[in-house]
Amino acid sequence: MAGLELLSDQGFRLDGRRPHELRKIQCKMGVFKQADGSAYIEQGNTKALATVYGPHEVTGSRSKIEHDKVLINCQYSMATFSTGERRSRSKGDRKSQEMQLHLKKTFEAAILTQLYPRSQIDIYVQILQADGGNYSACVNAATLAIIDAGIPMKDFVCASTAGFVSDTPIVDISYLEESQGGPELVVALLPKSDQIVEFQVNSRLHLDNFENVLDMAVKGCKDIHAVLSRAVKENVSELASHMNKT
Amino acid sequence: MKVIVSAAEKQFINSAIASGKRLDGRDTYDYRKVRITYGTERGCCEVQVGETRVLAQTSCEVVKPSGARPSEGMLHINLELSPMASPTFEPGRMSSFGVELNRLLERSVRESKAVDTESLCIVVGVKVWQVRVDLHALNFDGNLLDCSSIAAIASLHHFRRPEVTVSGEQVTIHSLEDREPVALSIHHMPICVTFAFFQEGKYLLVDPSDREESVMDGTMVVCMNIHRELCTVQMTGSMLLLKDQLSRCCQIAIVKVSEITEVIKSALANDAQARKEGRKHGFAESKVSSRITTGHMEEQTIPIKKEVDGSGSEDEMEDEEEEEEANGEEKNQNGSDVKIDSPGVGTIGEGLRNTWGVPTEDSDDNGQDTIMEEKATTEADDKRGGNKSCQKNL
Amino acid sequence: MAASMTNADVVLPGDVLTDRLKEITNKKVRLGPGLRWQSKDVVACKCGVLKSREDHAFWIDNHQRRYIPAKGESIIGVVSLKAGDIFRVNIGSNLPAALPYLSFEGATKRNRPNVQIGDLVYAKLLVANRDMEPELVCIDGSGQSNGLGVLSREGFMFKCSLHLCRKILSPDCSLLRVLGKKIPLEVTVGMNGRIWLRCRSVNDTICAMNAILAAEYTPEQNLKSMVYKIFGGVAAV
Repeated sequence: MAGLELLSDQGFRLDGRRPHELRKIQCKMGVFKQADGSAYIEQGNTKALATVYGPHEVTGSRSKIEHDKVLINCQYSMATFSTGERRSRSKGDRKSQEMQLHLKKTFEAAILTQLYPRSQIDIYVQILQADGGNYSACVNAATLAIIDAGIPMKDFVCASTAGFVSDTPIVDISYLEESQGGPELVVALLPKSDQIVEFQVNSRLHLDNFENVLDMAVKGCKDIHAVLSRAVKENVSELASHMNKT
Repeated sequence: MKVIVSAAEKQFINSAIASGKRLDGRDTYDYRKVRITYGTERGCCEVQVGETRVLAQTSCEVVKPSGARPSEGMLHINLELSPMASPTFEPGRMSSFGVELNRLLERSVRESKAVDTESLCIVVGVKVWQVRVDLHALNFDGNLLDCSSIAAIASLHHFRRPEVTVSGEQVTIHSLEDREPVALSIHHMPICVTFAFFQEGKYLLVDPSDREESVMDGTMVVCMNIHRELCTVQMTGSMLLLKDQLSRCCQIAIVKVSEITEVIKSALANDAQARKEGRKHGFAESKVSSRITTGHMEEQTIPIKKEVDGSGSEDEMEDEEEEEEANGEEKNQNGSDVKIDSPGVGTIGEGLRNTWGVPTEDSDDNGQDTIMEEKATTEADDKRGGNKSCQKNL
Repeated sequence: MAASMTNADVVLPGDVLTDRLKEITNKKVRLGPGLRWQSKDVVACKCGVLKSREDHAFWIDNHQRRYIPAKGESIIGVVSLKAGDIFRVNIGSNLPAALPYLSFEGATKRNRPNVQIGDLVYAKLLVANRDMEPELVCIDGSGQSNGLGVLSREGFMFKCSLHLCRKILSPDCSLLRVLGKKIPLEVTVGMNGRIWLRCRSVNDTICAMNAILAAEYTPEQNLKSMVYKIFGGVAAV
């Protein structure tokens, strides 16, 4: 694996993208009938599925009931066939618990929680194919699912990753670029107000390059937002036209 | 066990932070006192940040390497949150709080390649060193992560592993008496700095204590080393931040990291000095005996600005007091007339009789500073003063 | 430091005290906390200082932080739940206490008291034995609130040891008087180790809180200078 040139001299990455280009995004809302809201998103080769149930009565332990806001319950799982080698993952391992916690906190900041006290919203995310950017795909899919379920939010939540290779910030890193061990920055953003909901940096990144990489990630989020909002608008106008036809 | 925080406490702490004051008199960017003590065994250290205490122990053993990386050793970090540290920690399965702390420690020390794992290899594909850092939370008073990360780094630097010689097929692990043990090869010291945010990201504090943590919106952890490299940054909590707030935090973190790195280095140097000179070292030496240990407050300088509500300058106030002193007890009783603002449910009144002490007339010390007879109380005084010595002897 | 304090006054769990009590009085004695009968002997079960009162009541004064509810004591609690006809109040003991709606001054079935979750209440224990959950009231026998009730949100509450609360409330302790001379303040001391106070500014509140916490191990004669030191004033002992 060593010796792969992540950024060629002409400025092309391994999959032929330029440093500031995102992978191709395809998404669909309302894929399941049973769930209150669902969505499917493909970012390049990373495929994620999200379903939302709620707001409903608090299941599980009654001690978790919050008297002034809604309880958000997230579950994250990776399918056994999602990575290169087939690996069965247990539910309780640390990395997936960490991911669940981050998703929960992200959506607690974005959903208007004070509207549904003593209730619970469930968000289930499943990764079908993992090719880098797992967290961002989950967040984007979950955002679409929540919008599909009609739960009020402050704004879209768009997430994107960014890395730093050969003195150039690159956006939306794939699995190969991730595993080279370079720095990775993950940002989840509310695009309209430029407010950062979730922010992570992994691996060593020098402080001087920090600003540039962050800017690149924020720009990536905004680009994703453009794609997602177009998809949502199409979906909603189609639904509206069906409703009006009666 | 869920701890409920009253609305009054939340409001007070928020308004104190808004005016830049903290409950123990620190500044907004000040750490509590960091104290590092090393044990007699190599790799054992206890770190105290204020009242938060974490014990760290590094150990190593020889294992077979993983298939994916046959030429690298392994480093494991584990933080145990036992109910000993706080009644809010439950025994058994780790709570999400514990998982988060553990993941952050793993990311900051292991995934930032602080320890050179290739140097831990003995025979490629057959034998490597596995280094374990076990951290135990002893007392929780807020900001467990910073304390743990300092403990892990201090412990790793202090640790010595046995020397190994490989001659052909033969691998010899020398015992500690045979050859001097060897230090681990550590590239850099990643230190975590925790920032707590209040009132939707408007105010931030460094090193939150337990009370401040119960009121905060969320935290941001910035893990850096003195070479100005970000090892890990994590923002959690239901709050929204702007880009310039992130940059500001990173700037503050640089300063704090260099301060703490100095503390660690000097503690290491002191311990090395003590060992070389053959002086006694270890935990037993560093614990102060014959002193009241709990409830003892460190001397904190509380910046007092005398706000006299515009009713006079500082000097005037002092004069008034001296006058009162001169006139003796009579002035006392007319003292400050505190009024009850609104009757009904919210009144604060006289309270009830104290059933513990010597029964006298109404001891209405529960509120206003009105008349209080001072009884001849030498006996009671002695008993009270005596309690202090009683504690000492116990 | 007190001169007459000797080690003889300190008792340990298991000490037989029948003779000591007989020395002091030969009338009928009442045993308070920390002492119990064990087949004709009085035995100490806590470690601390043996104290006595004029009406032949004996008890052991010890250092404890966990509160055990006792009938008739006034405590500060935090409202944690509204359930049916009562409020559940956390008083720091093994069970949350129950405070009925109607136990406030002027409360009727139609006129409910304005108490929210998270409010601080200063109430008196009506029922407190080891077999039942504690019950609080905010009125006295005649239906008057008499100082009990909801504490204002403007103040600040902090925790301390039970010993410190008793010390402050005792009439011999001059701490509150000295503090009151320094700055105007309102203070409520709960017997469950919680103290609520309010001063004019945040600064003063923080200083007063630190002064009270530092007073735990400060002997009586040094109280004044300690308070003055914290407030930065002239120490005129």
